[in-house]
Amino acid sequence: MGALVLAGALALVGITPAQPPDQPSGKGTPTKVALRRITESQYRHTIADVFGPGIKINARFEPEKRVEGLLAIGSAQLSVTSSGFEQYFALASSISDQVLDEKQRATSVPCKPSNPTQADDACGRRFIEAYGERLFRRPLTESETLARLKTASTGAKQAGDFYAGLKLALTSLLVAPEFIFRVETAEPDPANRSQYRLDAYSKAARVSFLLWDSAPDQELLNAARSGAIHTRAGLHQQLTRLTSSPRFEDGVRAFFTDMLQLDDLDNVVKDPTIYPKFNQSVSDSAKEQTLRTTVDLLVNKKRDYRDLFTSNDTFINRPLASVYRIPFASSGDWAPYTFPQSSERSGILTQVSFLSLFAHPGSSSPTKRGIKIYEIFMCLPTPNPPADVDFSRVQDSTKATIRGRLLDHMSNPGCSGCHMRSDPPGLALEHFDGLGQLRTMENGAMIDVSADIYGVKLVGAQGLGKFLHDDPRVPACLVRNVYAYGAGRATGAQDGDYLSNQTKAFASDGYRLPDLMVQIASSPEFFKVVVPTGVQHPPSATTAATVPLQKSGGVRQ
Amino acid sequence: MNFPFNRRSFLRGMINGTAVCVALPVLNRFLNGSGTAYADGTKLPVRFGTYFWGLGLTDTPTGGTRWVPSKTGYGYEIMPELESLKPVKDKVSVFSGFRVIGDGRPNLVHWSGHASILSGVAPAAADRFDGPSFDSKVADAIGTATRFKVIDIDASASRQPVSYSTRTGTTFAMPETTPLVLYQRLFGSAFQDPNSDDWKPDPSIMLRQSVLSAVEDQRQALMAGVGKDDQVRLDQYFTSVREMENQLAMQLQKPEHCQACVVPTAPKDTPRSATVDAVRANTKALAKLLAMGLACNQTRVFNFVHTAGISETYIAGESKIYHQITHDEPIDATLGYQPETSRLAGLVMQAFGDFLIELDAVKEGAGTVLDNSLIMAFSDTGYAKIHSIENIPMFLAGRAGGRHKAGQHVHTTGESVTRVSLTAQQLVGVPVGEFGTGSMRTARPITEIMG
Repeated sequence: MGALVLAGALALVGITPAQPPDQPSGKGTPTKVALRRITESQYRHTIADVFGPGIKINARFEPEKRVEGLLAIGSAQLSVTSSGFEQYFALASSISDQVLDEKQRATSVPCKPSNPTQADDACGRRFIEAYGERLFRRPLTESETLARLKTASTGAKQAGDFYAGLKLALTSLLVAPEFIFRVETAEPDPANRSQYRLDAYSKAARVSFLLWDSAPDQELLNAARSGAIHTRAGLHQQLTRLTSSPRFEDGVRAFFTDMLQLDDLDNVVKDPTIYPKFNQSVSDSAKEQTLRTTVDLLVNKKRDYRDLFTSNDTFINRPLASVYRIPFASSGDWAPYTFPQSSERSGILTQVSFLSLFAHPGSSSPTKRGIKIYEIFMCLPTPNPPADVDFSRVQDSTKATIRGRLLDHMSNPGCSGCHMRSDPPGLALEHFDGLGQLRTMENGAMIDVSADIYGVKLVGAQGLGKFLHDDPRVPACLVRNVYAYGAGRATGAQDGDYLSNQTKAFASDGYRLPDLMVQIASSPEFFKVVVPTGVQHPPSATTAATVPLQKSGGVRQ
Repeated sequence: MNFPFNRRSFLRGMINGTAVCVALPVLNRFLNGSGTAYADGTKLPVRFGTYFWGLGLTDTPTGGTRWVPSKTGYGYEIMPELESLKPVKDKVSVFSGFRVIGDGRPNLVHWSGHASILSGVAPAAADRFDGPSFDSKVADAIGTATRFKVIDIDASASRQPVSYSTRTGTTFAMPETTPLVLYQRLFGSAFQDPNSDDWKPDPSIMLRQSVLSAVEDQRQALMAGVGKDDQVRLDQYFTSVREMENQLAMQLQKPEHCQACVVPTAPKDTPRSATVDAVRANTKALAKLLAMGLACNQTRVFNFVHTAGISETYIAGESKIYHQITHDEPIDATLGYQPETSRLAGLVMQAFGDFLIELDAVKEGAGTVLDNSLIMAFSDTGYAKIHSIENIPMFLAGRAGGRHKAGQHVHTTGESVTRVSLTAQQLVGVPVGEFGTGSMRTARPITEIMG
């Protein structure tokens, strides 16, 4: 209080203190707890939501980074490079041109300028505030609005065109860090001012990106503005609305694209002399097949998540039919299809997406496939190979099958430690070549697809599918992934109790994905605040804020 | 102080009539006397680039080396895996016997080698560097007078675009991966022909500048209440904004005439392929465009990746990729090395030879673009079979405008790779006295190759 009075007195005599006065205890300033670069699909979804699906987005996006299995975690480590910014800048200009195109402006601009050849601050402000709120996912500050108004009016004067000025202002919003990054802000909790909570708009964004892979819509922003999102009922109402919408599918697709690493399919290369059927259309179709299968099973039919490893109900199109060697008689682009028992297929592990992603350009790779089964579906990462493995003891194997060659590796003590663990699940999939085509022979020898995983003996892809269906680590891993994906942070031992309780709830709900997402998004842990180190002007409540959170087990610096 | 002649004639005099293009902002800085990079007053800033290829070269512990020449100094003999360097041998120095010293940090396979060479410190994790890569310091020192501060290129057709250039240690550059995309960046619609006679400033550029100033206005408000790591990331974002502003400012100035600049035509798009032959062809096509980008003064700094650390390149029709072969292939008892691995290493180096020849093909003043450049080439490993980070093959190519006494072989027994990195920085005029941390910290450049 004293400090505030002093600050006021200084202001009266025209002196501004160099540093803001210390905040009295329990009245910390807002703190930015996370900065996550939005993904390409989040960018695309947001632009379509805000400006309509007709806007063309033609750009290269900066590569994303997978950390602990998820791009969503890596997004909190990424920045924007100079060539990346060039792309954002060019893209922003192109979007503004489209939005303010002569035919579009009647619908995209909420007001008419008093004179279209001049600046009009009143109309400009309405435009900037309306779109700024959607793009920044919160209302603009007055200073943010004024900066864009200045751009708009300078542009309008120089070009003699009100709309040319608006284009520049919109471009400026679209290249702003507040749009390109999701800035998550925490504020002192009014119920306990020594603690922080995520502010209402950051909460709304977290929910929206999890469930729709897009920025909050107007209704969700309103729930943030009114504070309804801070109440249990208000939050639940929004979660129900979002998961009942057809757009929930976008969220589920984005989540599985990330978890199953399907984004990598855009870059897969295969040797055309060995896999002549492979091309870009096959890899695009493979990604779409897995997403369609997953959405249909888990969202439309609300089936048990574990059925993903055993169900052979899927969808195919013409390019895939050729790889799967099945007829495609439909007149549409895609048709439902159920693989027969004899196909040896068993769920998404036996789709072209997984089988071709985790293979070499000219061969299958039981090691890669095994490592990915553990990592993606069981959350069991494989450590990097030690550098001191004595590869000089590895001799060329003359065995016909990969299994034979790998068994030679396994007899070498330097290699066996990892390969004994990583290879068996992959060996069970060896009836599928590096593209995912069924085969039973390799170099003239029969392929043996038996495997022993931690003492469980199984045979082939169907045995592996059943194994994953029944292994309790598989649903537990999904729970971890949904949480880490939505909260945007890696989980640790301190999250153990929470995740284990969520897994129990998931099981008792019959392993239904939509229920799991709602369950996680309604838990206080989902909005837990972790104050980063080295915050400028650290509020006095920083230390206090972490104490109650540690009790609930989730602070990770 | 008054100059009795115009600025351009002054500059031409200073470089003894060498008709190399120089953009005006350099001249301004030069005349203001504010920069140290031009302190000697007689040399133009050279171009600097890195060239990376994966999986090292063959140099077996039993002594079956396929790349380390036996002779040191000038006139080293061409070893089998360096055959492709023959046409430009006098412009290439070879460095052998340099190693990564981890100070207890583990050897992160296919990562620690180049991370150490570029950042000066063995990294703690295999997805990041513990500091910026030094090419960013070079770009800060010599890259501000061109439209692009740096151009990043990846020829490998890998799963993900590959770049090892980073300012933060966590965000790596986004490279151009095809000739068509590189062409559009360098010579697309925003390119201004330096040799065109009817140059006019584009008024829309000033409008675009105002877009960026609105972003910069909010910088302080955004930075408040941000954690340390996020500050670093926002700093990088704002650096990128400033580079865009610099690009726009460049476009408002009439570009200096460049004698060597011949604007190329747009290349055809090629299908994506990671075969050894396809990556070589891609390397050559990208190098041709890059050479002209340098000659047309679009950039002075570049990073070029031929293949990634864990290279996915392969011979068409062979089921094993190069990376697998390096580990699996036994050493031939008679030859003393892995014959197939060595053959592949030789093929991969052909692309490096092609790359240098493309830069050497563009005549510039009394020499070539290669003569006015310095390229540091290196790999992630020495002997790939065992992930060795000893004896990592390194090269400095190009004469660096005469500063590099090129064409020598320098051999040490186990000195830090950072000595070569420091030497490269000093040769191109970065004001830096030491590089690296811990046991890899060095203040000793390799003076025998410095003119």
